[in-house]
Amino acid sequence: MKKKIRHRGRLSQTIIYLGKLFRMFLFQNDWKVLPMSAIIAGLVCFAVGSNLYKTMEGTLTGAFALACVCVWNGFFNSIQSICRERAIVKREHRAGLHISSYVLAHMIYQAVLCFLQAIIIIVVCTGMRIQLPTASLVTPFPLVDFGLTLFFITYSADLLALLVSSIAKTTTTAMTIMPFLLIVQLLFSGGFFDLPQQAMPLTNLTVTKWGLTALCAQGDYNSLPMVSLWNNAVKMKNVEVDGEKPLLEALVYIEENDMRDELLLQSAQQNQNPNYAFDIEVINRCWSWLIIWGAVYAIITILLLEKIDKDKR
Amino acid sequence: MSISASIVNQILSYLLSSLGLYLIFGKCGVKKIWAWVPFVREYHLGVCADREAEGRIYAKLAVVSLVADIIYYCLEYAKISAGALFYAIAFAILIAEFLYSARLFLGLIKMFGKSRKWLPLLVIMAGPVLLYWGLSPKYVPKKKATESEMAATAKVLGTDIASIKDGLTVNITDRTVIDFFKKKILLKDIHMCIPKGHMVLLLGGSGAGKTTYLNAVTGYEKANANVTLGEEDVYFDYVKMMYDIGFVPQQDLMRGNDTVALTLSDAATLRLPSSVSAAERKKRVKEVLEQFGLLAVKDNLVEKLSGGQRKRLSIAMEFISDPTLFILDEPDSGLDGVVARALFEKLRAIADENKIVIVITHTPDRVIDLFDDVIVLAKDSGRTGRLAWYGPVDKAYEFFGKSSMEEILLSINQKDEGGEGRADEFVEKYADYIREEVG
Repeated sequence: MKKKIRHRGRLSQTIIYLGKLFRMFLFQNDWKVLPMSAIIAGLVCFAVGSNLYKTMEGTLTGAFALACVCVWNGFFNSIQSICRERAIVKREHRAGLHISSYVLAHMIYQAVLCFLQAIIIIVVCTGMRIQLPTASLVTPFPLVDFGLTLFFITYSADLLALLVSSIAKTTTTAMTIMPFLLIVQLLFSGGFFDLPQQAMPLTNLTVTKWGLTALCAQGDYNSLPMVSLWNNAVKMKNVEVDGEKPLLEALVYIEENDMRDELLLQSAQQNQNPNYAFDIEVINRCWSWLIIWGAVYAIITILLLEKIDKDKR
Repeated sequence: MSISASIVNQILSYLLSSLGLYLIFGKCGVKKIWAWVPFVREYHLGVCADREAEGRIYAKLAVVSLVADIIYYCLEYAKISAGALFYAIAFAILIAEFLYSARLFLGLIKMFGKSRKWLPLLVIMAGPVLLYWGLSPKYVPKKKATESEMAATAKVLGTDIASIKDGLTVNITDRTVIDFFKKKILLKDIHMCIPKGHMVLLLGGSGAGKTTYLNAVTGYEKANANVTLGEEDVYFDYVKMMYDIGFVPQQDLMRGNDTVALTLSDAATLRLPSSVSAAERKKRVKEVLEQFGLLAVKDNLVEKLSGGQRKRLSIAMEFISDPTLFILDEPDSGLDGVVARALFEKLRAIADENKIVIVITHTPDRVIDLFDDVIVLAKDSGRTGRLAWYGPVDKAYEFFGKSSMEEILLSINQKDEGGEGRADEFVEKYADYIREEVG
């Protein structure tokens, strides 16, 4: 009986491709995603960071913006990574490349990128003196919890973009699909825009929903004051009723008796969202969903790329 | 308008356009019955308009449009507000469908040699216009869509030839694909034995099936065939055999940001057996770098190499595993005569190491002295890739009565491609010749 000749297994191949990807990071323009993520985080902090984790409204807006930054970063990391070398992958697959190794190498490489981007966002937020969560739920460190959420959001979006990159035959197609996906992610986050009740199940499919929920929960959204009512009342303070200004009188009375903060908290109590409860269960559920979606995207990517030999010239 | 009135209106419009298409298809040479079959008729409108690819997309859009419509009406009926979303989707598809119909009608207008002024009428009321075109004897297409498909194909040899132990034996009965409601025969009746040590030229016009043939031989796209390399069945032992077959694609598919040495080293790790030690692998990489004249540029980035160097590296990547069968798709494209000659001499040297080298090139005459044999593939009248010759180069000249490969190519190319259109004649002559040879 002839001895079976063995070739490199999946692990060795993964290491080869990891080497290629990190060389690409250094010598091609892939490294640019890191400074880019710092600039985007800076812009978001500047625009909506002042009330993040200080008021309910500021937290919702800021957390949504942060989730969007992560999704943007994730998308840009990998949207072109497979389609730009599709013909090369086809050639290598015919020469014995395991697609699972190739995708795994991408997953490891992208995980490193996403991890660095999560750190960059935290550094930028801290540097710009943005309030970040002060209590932790999963690990003993609030910033680690917060960083992990940023990482999971970025990574899940990254793997979705990797899937798109494996479907699209050209970089142009991939870049055309990306904005469309981004809009779906933004619209169906489920927290920021008021969606019809029947559309709510769709929000479970988005990375932004789970990211936004986790970010709000980690900042103990439900314990924060709500300022909308107060701000609107201040705007209407000069409205006259029978020659008098009752709102102005009420506001002066509240200020003089130091009741404003209590009123803001009472206003917030009426608007608490159980989905954003400061509860480890909430965080675990959000992280699990982000991981599950990432895994689903990766599996579909592998299955689709296995058919790469059928590509036409 | 109520939903039921709208549905009745759509059905009437559909029936009218189907009747028009029924008559148009008759004129085009497409089976008339397809005019009544939803989605298939959209595709065949593309065939009639000589825009088959667009016809496919149009048919797919029609399917998706119908699905979106059904979902929309169901959700509306159930008073589910998400139905509005499907309205937007259905409308988006309708826009695409409308544009594709305009493209197909433009093709139809061109095919019937009429003015473009007909386009708005065709788009707005396709049914009555198609009916008029179908009934009027003045409206006749310039060519029939199925003319080539209906033509008889050249006769076949029909028997396999015995395999040889010391070479490549190819017995392809046929290679077919089901392509959008149609079965297409890409290759048919190709039988040959190529001994080791031979360098073979693969000659054929555009669409003659050269790449399909190579994909069938390498097992990348399996045919109804029996292909053996030595004693091994390429299809049966594909996982093993893929390391014994080197295929160099036409484009230089390599990562530009890697160095030459790293590219080759990674290729060696991927292609060589895992039992080969790191030292042996390194030695092999060095040998191949030397053999292909790449030692001096081993630390250069691939993107910095010249066209010739890049081509040699692409070949070296496949050669690193020392394959028995070595296939190259236009290795000389983009290279000047001197560099191309040097490259083919290198390939000749590889063949002399008891390997089989099969090469596609569009400029064969400048290097024909380096080849042992030539495979001539030709498109027969049924547009199927057929074998018109396999054998020594000098006998090929005799067989075709020509003095150069370019002349041979010209003789087998279809008339509409500027050739002599004698493919069927040579396919049949070769079948008779091989029948005599094999017995």
